[in-house]
Amino acid sequence: MELSLGLGLSKLGLEAENDYDVIIIGGGPAGASAAIYTARSELKTLVIDKGLTAGALGITAKISNYPGVPGPISGAELVEIMRQQAESFGAMFITDKVVGVDIHSTPKMVMAGTGTFTAKAIILATGSMGRTSVVPGEEVLLGRGVSYCATCDGAFFRDQTVAVIGNNDEALEEALFLTKYAAKIYLVVPTPELKARDFLVHEVTTHEKIEVLLGTRLKEIVGTELVEGVRVQPRGGAEALLPVSGAFVYLQGGKPITDYLMEQLQTTPEGCLVVDSEMQTAVPGVFAVGDLLCTHIKQAVIAAADGVIAAIAADKFIHGRKKLQTDWR
Amino acid sequence: MALLREDDRQHLINEFSVLTNPVKLVVFTQKLECQYCAETRMIAEEVAALSDKISLQVYDFEAHAEIAEQYGIDKIPATVIMRGGNDPKDYGIRLFGIPSGYEFSTLIEDIMMVSRGDSGLSAETKAWVAALKKPVHMQVFITPTCPYCPRAVILAHQLAMESDLIRSDMVEAIEFPHLANKYHVHGVPRTVINERVHIEGAAPERMLLGKLKEAVA
Ligand SMILES: Cc1cc2nc3c(=O)[nH]c(=O)nc-3n(C[C@H](O)[C@H](O)[C@H](O)COP(=O)(O)OP(=O)(O)OC[C@H]3O[C@@H](n4cnc5c(N)ncnc54)[C@H](O)[C@@H]3O)c2cc1C
Repeated sequence: MELSLGLGLSKLGLEAENDYDVIIIGGGPAGASAAIYTARSELKTLVIDKGLTAGALGITAKISNYPGVPGPISGAELVEIMRQQAESFGAMFITDKVVGVDIHSTPKMVMAGTGTFTAKAIILATGSMGRTSVVPGEEVLLGRGVSYCATCDGAFFRDQTVAVIGNNDEALEEALFLTKYAAKIYLVVPTPELKARDFLVHEVTTHEKIEVLLGTRLKEIVGTELVEGVRVQPRGGAEALLPVSGAFVYLQGGKPITDYLMEQLQTTPEGCLVVDSEMQTAVPGVFAVGDLLCTHIKQAVIAAADGVIAAIAADKFIHGRKKLQTDWR
Repeated sequence: MALLREDDRQHLINEFSVLTNPVKLVVFTQKLECQYCAETRMIAEEVAALSDKISLQVYDFEAHAEIAEQYGIDKIPATVIMRGGNDPKDYGIRLFGIPSGYEFSTLIEDIMMVSRGDSGLSAETKAWVAALKKPVHMQVFITPTCPYCPRAVILAHQLAMESDLIRSDMVEAIEFPHLANKYHVHGVPRTVINERVHIEGAAPERMLLGKLKEAVA
């Protein structure tokens, strides 16, 4: 629950119900497919996902090889269909970013921006769109102008010039949030175009405070005590230094997203999670599926199948069954 | 005008039905009220009215300077969440600035924890804290719009609850810009321990424990 007093929040909402049978972190094809099955098994299911276009399928422009869906349709549309199917069986979806979990407690705990949720079993399905490396200056200047949360830190940049680096929904939403405080915002976009929903693209490109720099890579965050600028390079162009006092970074890469686990599970040298044939990790009741695993070919249908196996295994775990039970209804 | 919405009031009445030990809120404000002093007092009044287990005492920061000093209150608005009733106990749990936005949930969690009488920390942390010899002062800088901040504040408050040597302050960075400046706060949550050690972000219990060890070493 939060209480708004004109401090930049408009939402005074009760926390959603926070005790579940199964919490699925990530609502891509792996997580959404798992939700269809856990919900059909009458397990009280919550899916927490940080944004449709933050996932691999969510940013796929066209997909034509998903069995049963000849398409071509956009990846985001396909994910939406899966989510609606899960919702029709009673799964709950919320848009939020998971920042921590406690997989050893009973019940298991999932910490997200809007609250803490508990569950008997957890299915990890956050995919592999995590950043592979940081740029020079980023780590030392964290908290000194480098931020990953505009809603948290925006107020420190009143009337200043800042840079937002990224191309997805999250980056655009944060840039728009910053217009409340900052005098000017450079949106540094590594790709030739923005990869976000149309209304966000429209808002950002028409906002007078935001200057969009397409096809421009972040090379370095510069500053001694505090951020003084960002060094960027447009495709085929010369490096330039943008004088900013804040750098809000929302870049993605190809690494499994496991930061919120805070090393409670071991990963392979490539950063992947390891599971048994029922998708269970080393911790009973904690499952991992989809692109979080390196052993699997990165395809939407395979991620979906992983999700289904984990869902059936979670049902077995929760009910203390001896065998996996198929859903033939 | 009430600050709490009717359905939120009902929800809290329900949550508070499990309160066991009495909880006392001590709010420091001023006659010519500071920015958000009035709202902080009103929040405490409205919350305290929801359960007969919660009592409220409001002090004027200037008129009751001695009491303020006794509680270690050097800026306002300030809220102390302590055990009330016949056996009162101040654990060192403090909120400086308004508990609004996401931090409203911190106030509620603090009340629940103090009433329960158990910090809920792991056995490992409890053991370390029990053996603590030196005082620890934690200042957790936050903004009300930061979804990750309550976790950092609550963890600091859990530690305060475990030991008389630990005092943990939530500090709302926008209301106390001089402190934000002094401690170089340009992002939240930022936890400053004993003026020396600092942590960016909402660290999990085990990581924070490591920093605490560093701070008292
Ligand atoms: C450009 C591109 C094209 C592709 N084309 C095809 C194709 O044509 N056919 C095909 O079969 N496959 C294709 N793939 C592969 C396919 O998209 C992936 O294998 C599949 O999406 C993996 O599913 P997933 O559910 O594991 O992860 P994702 O689809 O990446 O979903 C992960 C979800 O987790 C969420 N998330 C991440 N971190 C958090 C957090 N901390 N808190 C809350 N939520 C979080 C994200 O918002 C996201 O929705 C393509 C991939 C890419 C990148």
